[in-house]
Amino acid sequence: MIGMSTRHILLGLLATGPSHGYDLKRRHDERFPQARPLAYGQVYTTLQRLVRDGLAQVDGTDSDGGPERTMYRATDEGTHELARWAGEIAPPAPFVANEIFAKVVVAILAGGDPAGYLSAQRAAHMERMRELTAVKAAQGADLATVLSADYALNHLDADLRWMNTTAARLTTLTAEVDAA
Amino acid sequence: MSRPVPLLTAGGLVKAHGRTQALRGASVELHAGEILAVTGASGSGKSTLLNCLSGIVRPDAGSVTYDGRRLEDLPEKRLSELRRTEFGVVFQFGQLIPELTVLDNVALPLLLAGTDRAAARVRAGEWLERFGVRGQEDLRPGELSGGQAQRAALARALVTRPRVVFADEPTGALDSLASEQVMTALVHTARESGTAVLLITHDAQVAAYADREVQLRDGAVAALGVTA
Amino acid sequence: MTSLRADLRLAWELTRGSDRGEWWRVTLTATGAALATGFALAAVALASLRGRYDVPVAAGLLDEPGTRSGVIVGLLLLLVPVLGFLGQCARIGAVHRDRRLAGLRLAGATPWQVRRIAALETGLACLLGSAVATVFSVLLLLRQWDRPTVLAWVGVALVAVAVPALGAVAGALALRRVVASPLGWVRRVGQRHGRGPGLLFLAGILLVAVMALLAVATTSTPAANRPNGGAQLQTMGVILAVGAGAVWLSGATAKATGRILAVRARSAATLIAAERLRDDPWSVARTHAAVLLVTVVGTGFLGIRQVMGEVVRTRRFSAPPSYYLTGLDLTGAAIGIAFAITLSGLAVGTAESLATRRRSLAAQAAAGVPQRVLDRSLLLETALPLAPAVLLAGLGGTAIGTWYALAGNRPVPWEITLVPVAVYAACLLAAATALPLLRRSVRPGELRYA
Repeated sequence: MIGMSTRHILLGLLATGPSHGYDLKRRHDERFPQARPLAYGQVYTTLQRLVRDGLAQVDGTDSDGGPERTMYRATDEGTHELARWAGEIAPPAPFVANEIFAKVVVAILAGGDPAGYLSAQRAAHMERMRELTAVKAAQGADLATVLSADYALNHLDADLRWMNTTAARLTTLTAEVDAA
Repeated sequence: MSRPVPLLTAGGLVKAHGRTQALRGASVELHAGEILAVTGASGSGKSTLLNCLSGIVRPDAGSVTYDGRRLEDLPEKRLSELRRTEFGVVFQFGQLIPELTVLDNVALPLLLAGTDRAAARVRAGEWLERFGVRGQEDLRPGELSGGQAQRAALARALVTRPRVVFADEPTGALDSLASEQVMTALVHTARESGTAVLLITHDAQVAAYADREVQLRDGAVAALGVTA
Repeated sequence: MTSLRADLRLAWELTRGSDRGEWWRVTLTATGAALATGFALAAVALASLRGRYDVPVAAGLLDEPGTRSGVIVGLLLLLVPVLGFLGQCARIGAVHRDRRLAGLRLAGATPWQVRRIAALETGLACLLGSAVATVFSVLLLLRQWDRPTVLAWVGVALVAVAVPALGAVAGALALRRVVASPLGWVRRVGQRHGRGPGLLFLAGILLVAVMALLAVATTSTPAANRPNGGAQLQTMGVILAVGAGAVWLSGATAKATGRILAVRARSAATLIAAERLRDDPWSVARTHAAVLLVTVVGTGFLGIRQVMGEVVRTRRFSAPPSYYLTGLDLTGAAIGIAFAITLSGLAVGTAESLATRRRSLAAQAAAGVPQRVLDRSLLLETALPLAPAVLLAGLGGTAIGTWYALAGNRPVPWEITLVPVAVYAACLLAAATALPLLRRSVRPGELRYA
């Protein structure tokens, strides 16, 4: 998902004006605190692809006392593409790559301990939720931090609920998997 | 980190309501200044555990020790005094007296402790302000929104500077934003004043505000969460 | 007709499926209705008599039209505390009933359907009481009276039908609020003004007063040797005026006491009691209305009895002293019964007010509010507003007694000033009967229910 939208996110950051790769990375990590930080190399390959597709163009260089840096800016086509993407509805639940469910089923098939696994997974989820909650509840946390933490918390909470109901129905699931 | 003696310890609690066995040997420890979440499905005995720990009900078997005192040895009058002075309680809703103003509701525990009415009202006002309930002191609880009422209830629970706050689904009747405001207020104040909190909830997002989680299943502790 | 039957079935199902509180309401309402029917039937039977009879009870008091009318008025006056009692009974489980009927409205019932169902609920309870009372009264009537007149039978039938009908109407009228909004009042915002039942009560008293006047006018033959008829009416007028004043005063003082004390209260118990008074002073006035009437009548009567007893014993009259003393004793007994009914109403009212705020009380106990603070605030809720009202009612009654003594050139019977004190103490005791219920209300089990 990150790979899919990095170009659009970079386009979005370019929308405020020309910028160079390092600056884009820094602003990305600042603006999306709970997302995976962007690798510097990834920023450059993405920028090159944007130029190749005509969505961005090189806008000269800027040294600013330090090493020389290439400045990029969005083309009209890029602005248009950004507007299209921002208004596009994200497909609900695009895939159900449920690793947890797969592990539970495999544990049943292989005679493992699905209940123990779920309990440990649940504890790990809770631990992550506690960390995110601490970030969000810290005094002086800005709204962007709170909202991105909330996004993650709600997804972890959904997993957790699913694990709770699954743990309560493991006996039936085991019978079903074993019978098949 | 080596931990000191727990502030509140319960061992082997058993409690039945009629023919329903609510607790079957639950044990739990609460340390000073710690925020502990007790989670579990409906009917797993969470509220009964809270009621036993706070001395609201007496368990059929097992023991609760608070600060070196065994609660089962204390007469009802002393338990009531303990709840009034060293504990604070918050329920899902309905703990504020509907006829009293919000300010008087918060001042009530101080009044019971013998504080002069005017002084009690001043302090209650300060606590309401801390919980962000401002300009509504003279309203009745029925005129507040659910979130405001719960924050006022928290102010009432904390106004006597208790050592433990017992909260039974304090956000159970609130939407997620109001719930977030109530929990943030509770956690900040508890941390500031070093108050321990025993938080009953079925909501993982609420439980995530705690330092630690204890899960109840069928009236006993099922699993201990990872200690922070 | 089919819709009526459907409503009837629904009313029955609702009553059948309801909790203990509802059955208490039905039982107590039926008891009240039975008392009302009994008193009204006795009054009607006596009123149907014309001229002189030989009635074998009450030392010949019922033989003469003049004294008979007095007894009729007394019986009708007994309806006043019964009405008060019924008013209290109607409030048992009122919150739950309001909620239930609001639920019916939400489910799509029209205002009229809800009104009809509520009317049927109350009406059926009254019908039960009235039926039982009618059966026993008729049996008694047949034993005492060889051949009752047609007029008597018509009167009996009228009363037997009127009591449940009036109960049903009152039940429907008391529901304006729920009928107006399907959401009822789940949440209480601002001041409530529970005047509806109070107005019903006043209307009831007025009805009784008119009936009493009619009874006096039709049964007592104005003769030259009976110059006291006017004085009787005057006395009754004074009683009604003082009673109504006391009711108003009770409400007003409850409000004022609440307002003044709420600001100045130093203890938690006083504060809670004061705020409850300020919040709903008229419910207190309603509860105390009958108490105050009984205080006025009781104090006045004891004064009159003192004076008259002396007069009867020291002077010679055509009838033996026992004739007059029996009359006085009967009146005393009637006032005693009225007082007992009133106290029951007060106890029921206190218990009901506890039952409706069980959850809040349990939460307070859980938060460590000591039992004695809760006990004290409960008693203060009765004691605070009742004190000035009973004082006024007592003064009114004493005035009546004094006026009577002075008119007859007799020493003023100061003992009667003890009556208000006794009434006050009895009321506190009646309120205290709810204390065990308070202990049970604060059980933590109540914390779970709204």
